[in-house]
Amino acid sequence: MRGKEVVVKRIITLNVNGEEFEFLTEVHRTLLEVLREDLGLTGTKRGCDLGTCGACTVLIEGKPYLSCLTLAADVQGKKIVTIEGLAQDGEPHPLQKAFVQKGAIQCGFCTPGMILMAKAFLDENPNPSEEEVKQAISGNICRCTGYTKIVEAILSLTHK
Amino acid sequence: MRLPKFEYLEPKTLQEAVRALASDAKRSVLLAGGTDLLVNMKHRVIEPKQVINLKTIPKLAYVKNVKDELRIGALATLHDLSSSRVIQERFPILSHVATKVGAYALQAMGTLGGNLCQGNRCRFYNQSAFWRGAKPPCYKAGGKLCHVVRKPGECHSTYCGDMAPVLIALEAQVRVVGPNGERVLSLSKLYSRDGKRPLSLRKGEILKEVLIPPPSGKTLYLKWRRRESIEFPIVSLALHIEKDGTEKIGKARIIFSAVGSGPVETIGAEEMLESSSLDNRTIERVSNQAAKEISPMRTSIYSPSYKRRMAGILLRQALENFQIPNPK
Amino acid sequence: MNKLDVVGKREPMLDAWEKATGRARFTDDLAFPGMLYGKILRSPLAHAKILHLDLTGAEKVTGVKGAIGGEDIPKKKYGIVPMAKDEYALAIGKVRYVGDEVAAVVATSLDAAEEALSKIQVDYEELPAVFDPVEAMQPGAPVIHEEVHNNVSASIRKEFGNVEKAFGESDFLFEDTFETQAVNHCPLEPQAALAVVDPSGKVTLYASTQIPFFLRRNLATTLDIPESKVRVIKPKVGGGFGQKIDLYAKDFCAAFFAMKTKKPVKFVYEREEVFTSTRQRHPMHIQLKTGMRKDGTILAQQFKVIADGGAYNSTAPLMITLACYFIMLPYRLENLLFEGYHVYTNKPVGGAMRGHGIPQVRFAVEAQLDHVAEKMGIDPLDLRLKNAFQAGAPHPAKLRVQTCGFSDTLKTAAKGIGWEEKRGKLPFGRGVGLAGASFPSGVSNMSHISSGAMVKIERDGSITLLTGAADIGQGAETVISQIVAEELGVPLEDIRITAADTEITPLDPGTFGSGVTLRAGNAAKIASQEAREKLFEAVAEKMEVNVKELEARNRRIYVKGSPERGMSFKEAIKFYQYSDRPMPIIGRGSYQPPAKEPTTLLKEDGNFSPAYSFMTQAAEVEVDTKTGKVKVLKMVASHDCGKAINPMLVEGQLEGSVVGGMGQALYEEVITEKGRVLNPSFLDYGIPTAMEAPSITSVEVETNDPEGPFGAKESGEGTQLAPAPAIINAIYDAIGVRFKTLPVTPEKILQALDEKKKE
Ligand SMILES: Cc1cc2nc3c(=O)[nH]c(=O)nc-3n(C[C@H](O)[C@H](O)[C@H](O)COP(=O)(O)OP(=O)(O)OC[C@H]3O[C@@H](n4cnc5c(N)ncnc54)[C@H](O)[C@@H]3O)c2cc1C
Ligand code: SF4
Ligand code: FES
Ligand code: FES
Repeated sequence: MRGKEVVVKRIITLNVNGEEFEFLTEVHRTLLEVLREDLGLTGTKRGCDLGTCGACTVLIEGKPYLSCLTLAADVQGKKIVTIEGLAQDGEPHPLQKAFVQKGAIQCGFCTPGMILMAKAFLDENPNPSEEEVKQAISGNICRCTGYTKIVEAILSLTHK
Repeated sequence: MRLPKFEYLEPKTLQEAVRALASDAKRSVLLAGGTDLLVNMKHRVIEPKQVINLKTIPKLAYVKNVKDELRIGALATLHDLSSSRVIQERFPILSHVATKVGAYALQAMGTLGGNLCQGNRCRFYNQSAFWRGAKPPCYKAGGKLCHVVRKPGECHSTYCGDMAPVLIALEAQVRVVGPNGERVLSLSKLYSRDGKRPLSLRKGEILKEVLIPPPSGKTLYLKWRRRESIEFPIVSLALHIEKDGTEKIGKARIIFSAVGSGPVETIGAEEMLESSSLDNRTIERVSNQAAKEISPMRTSIYSPSYKRRMAGILLRQALENFQIPNPK
Repeated sequence: MNKLDVVGKREPMLDAWEKATGRARFTDDLAFPGMLYGKILRSPLAHAKILHLDLTGAEKVTGVKGAIGGEDIPKKKYGIVPMAKDEYALAIGKVRYVGDEVAAVVATSLDAAEEALSKIQVDYEELPAVFDPVEAMQPGAPVIHEEVHNNVSASIRKEFGNVEKAFGESDFLFEDTFETQAVNHCPLEPQAALAVVDPSGKVTLYASTQIPFFLRRNLATTLDIPESKVRVIKPKVGGGFGQKIDLYAKDFCAAFFAMKTKKPVKFVYEREEVFTSTRQRHPMHIQLKTGMRKDGTILAQQFKVIADGGAYNSTAPLMITLACYFIMLPYRLENLLFEGYHVYTNKPVGGAMRGHGIPQVRFAVEAQLDHVAEKMGIDPLDLRLKNAFQAGAPHPAKLRVQTCGFSDTLKTAAKGIGWEEKRGKLPFGRGVGLAGASFPSGVSNMSHISSGAMVKIERDGSITLLTGAADIGQGAETVISQIVAEELGVPLEDIRITAADTEITPLDPGTFGSGVTLRAGNAAKIASQEAREKLFEAVAEKMEVNVKELEARNRRIYVKGSPERGMSFKEAIKFYQYSDRPMPIIGRGSYQPPAKEPTTLLKEDGNFSPAYSFMTQAAEVEVDTKTGKVKVLKMVASHDCGKAINPMLVEGQLEGSVVGGMGQALYEEVITEKGRVLNPSFLDYGIPTAMEAPSITSVEVETNDPEGPFGAKESGEGTQLAPAPAIINAIYDAIGVRFKTLPVTPEKILQALDEKKKE
């Protein structure tokens, strides 16, 4: 047992958007806090801090995670993708384009989480029905759009 | 809302985790997906000295057939359950129920073990420190009274998990590992029905896997909630029925969630159903009986009478569904 | 009208890319070196005297840099409506609701700030509290504000025509009582403020606000500093819906601590605080009596409205006034007696929310009209068409309605939902319903209700636009830029916009009353024209033509009708410069809605808004009669927005508004028990998710209002007035039960069906 070695602060290494970050932090900090406050990646939003809105969604090994309910220390060695890392070689992700062009963005506060959720979902299920899309993003609250254009934007990438 | 400070352990084996847990069981918690635990910690209803992360223990997130039995590791996520081929083929109902928990991200994070071991809920308990600050702490929060029922000594907090009812209906067992080795108990026995300490796990014990016997009969799960996502059940029902070879019902299991301090099996209603045929009169009687048998408390924003009523309605719907030759 | 190049186009929002890539900065995304984090201690009690506040425990926590109570900050009341100011930055002497602000701390980390809160000792003496507005009005009820003995802090009693006489002449009289619930705006971005002080002592406040200039003014008066020492900057705002029209403790505390500590200070609310301690849509108790003539004419209506205001005023007088005046649109109504009360209770505070006082009364009227139609054997659509207000008609309160597409919205919405084929004809459990409404496009004549804009034509041909308009996600910046691009004949991409910075941009009242497009749009239009004229003069001189003959389009300036006779925009600028005209080329515009006698309606009648929009919502629902669950299958939102400057954004407004309205009809409610919010989270509150969202069809009815820029009127709030009654009316069509209390939960449906069976 390594009981005695336990410290409250630790050096944590995170792989975010393909970059390694090493920093000293307390173990009780969430990934959301660390991304926003330590790494300056403020694209990940805090809408509720309690797992109920999806604004803080990031991808961990391709899966959607609520960063407000994830310990930063717990995702070391995992591939973390935030909205800032979605574009490839300067080229925006098709979902980003679709959201922009279809008017699926109003205030934009739900947008990063929504897009990442949609990405995780489409990667798994490239040809979903409208109902499946709705279900996939149903943990991501949007107060502005009424979801119509968000669902349209996501569906626009499916019928290929 | 910040988390309280704690010490953080990353055991590499179950044994290591068990030892750490047993060494200071009262002040330690296990972390799986964290979707239940971390909310409670932010609310300061759980303020552990140490958090033991189970995810650093390899090979606890499996889904596999062992002979006829299906074994699911405690760390398998709900999303693993809904996307697993094996489960989709042998226990489609489990895949289905997993998609009903919270929403997508919660399923990707939340584990089966965490779902089964999640804390009981109460409108006076699952609130922020500020919210709770106006009243003296209740039993579950370490105090000396209950805000729901004035009866001394008891906590009526409610078990609201989605997976347990169905797994109990499927007669699942769980394997737990503790300081004195492993033991297997029926999932139903995992629940103590004591709101304050809802699990019957002994000091230092960790749930390792869930064992499900080969499928037989038909199982349905109906979850009632206001919106079709995010929410815990207002009330939910797992119904399992096996025919006895004739038109009569051989075996019936009726298990509710969100109406008691653990999953609630309505034995009276089950008995009424067994060896009867599924005619409309039986359905009416059985659902009334089940609604009578449960005793929900005012632990959520929904009234006990409404929960009771919906419990009856869900059971009626489920039974009617079985009347149709090939239920969904 | 000329063919338009930029106006009327489905352009993505100018900042959509920033938002899609995570680069958009909201207040909480900003950070400055040495920044302190603030937290507010809130009252756990609904009504209590503060006997003693002891901050020493908090001050001792490592990292804490300051702790204050109400006595430590200038004792000046603030409020969004000057005549109704009743709130201190932090409570003085007593607290009036659970969540009222008692003390504030700042620390070097949020952990320390949170810990410090738990170390503050407050001795309270609990006072009797009152939670029901009707009880609060009774003699002997607990007094919440000493100055207001009966707890009625704002009221209105107005009669138009002669209601008693009209009731006497009526062939039918109908009387009903309606109740609406408390609804939270739920902007996804929680309220935030970040204050920075520069060496000269000036405070810059970055804030999630809809009203930067009002906020500046209130900060100055409340903190007792000159307005010149305050600058408010609005970064991106994550939705507001009216909640951010107000001023909050976070604003004052951030500025105060920044001044005191000389360090940047940030306050961000928790979601729970947004639910308990910001604003909500007022619950209302509405008694409504309507007199009808046999032929279906609405002769008279009488209202008694009691609005549960919660512990403070916020917009109280305006809210109750709007509720009154907008009864008289979208239907002709000559005789109205309106009695309205805004009543203090020890509960969360009511404020402006999408529709501001009108959705509640609209629900009552529209639900009752359906009933009236049925009893009189008239189709509810026909009844509405018969009474529909028409452009130019005299209005009892002298509102001047120049364009009115209400009848068209009724017809198109009915067509869209399949009214003819479906109303009364669908199987039990399915039904359709509709409801209408009207809303102002901004407010004419309250203090400083005018907008300014400045347009600079840069040397490289690009355009810099300065506007005070506060974009909170609705796309105001985009729409205003489209107007400028159209006027200058350049593509949208040539416009750069700086907005909502009280130091740099011209005055603007802010985002409320749905006035932004019309007001700030007109200002920008005027500014663009002025800049364009300067350029035209130079071009006219060079080409030896009359200025009036010129036209700007496609980055060219040329003689109307012959595009080849002209020059590129850039050449024009060059020529302007070399002809020794003063650079830079700047156009300025100010717009104040026209009005002869200023009126806020608070004291007298008169035209309230430069233009009025009209809308109809139609709904199709399915009711599961076994469980009581209602599913809204389809909504048609037909909206007379004058002219859609950007149809895609208008649709977005309608869709969001419809789902919000559906939330009020079926799902949402801030539930309180003895003043304590039981469900201060997205888990239990019931905000609709994508699973609940119906299919929505938007229909834009264009009436080209003479006052609006390119004919535009509002499209922000009006749409949220009618979805709830449309849905409730559809539920009636489905199961034959009329609901008068919102929200209509499955539980209520089951009860109602039971009672119906018994009958
Ligand atoms: C917004 C929201 C909505 C939700 N909706 C639902 C819902 O609809 N239905 C539902 O059932 N749940 C719901 N949940 C709760 C939770 O997300 C799920 O129950 C999830 O499956 C819990 O798993 P976890 O791995 O995250 O558990 P954790 O939070 O990691 O753990 C939960 C508890 O179980 C204990 N524990 C975990 N693993 C073990 C183990 N192997 N042995 C012993 N003890 C263990 C932990 O110590 C902790 O006390 C919701 C949560 C949120 C935040
Ligand atoms: S039931 Fe009573 S004791 Fe249990 S959590 Fe609720 S208030 Fe506390
Ligand atoms: S901020 Fe994490 S779910 Fe809302
Ligand atoms: S765009 Fe504002 S919350 Fe979704």
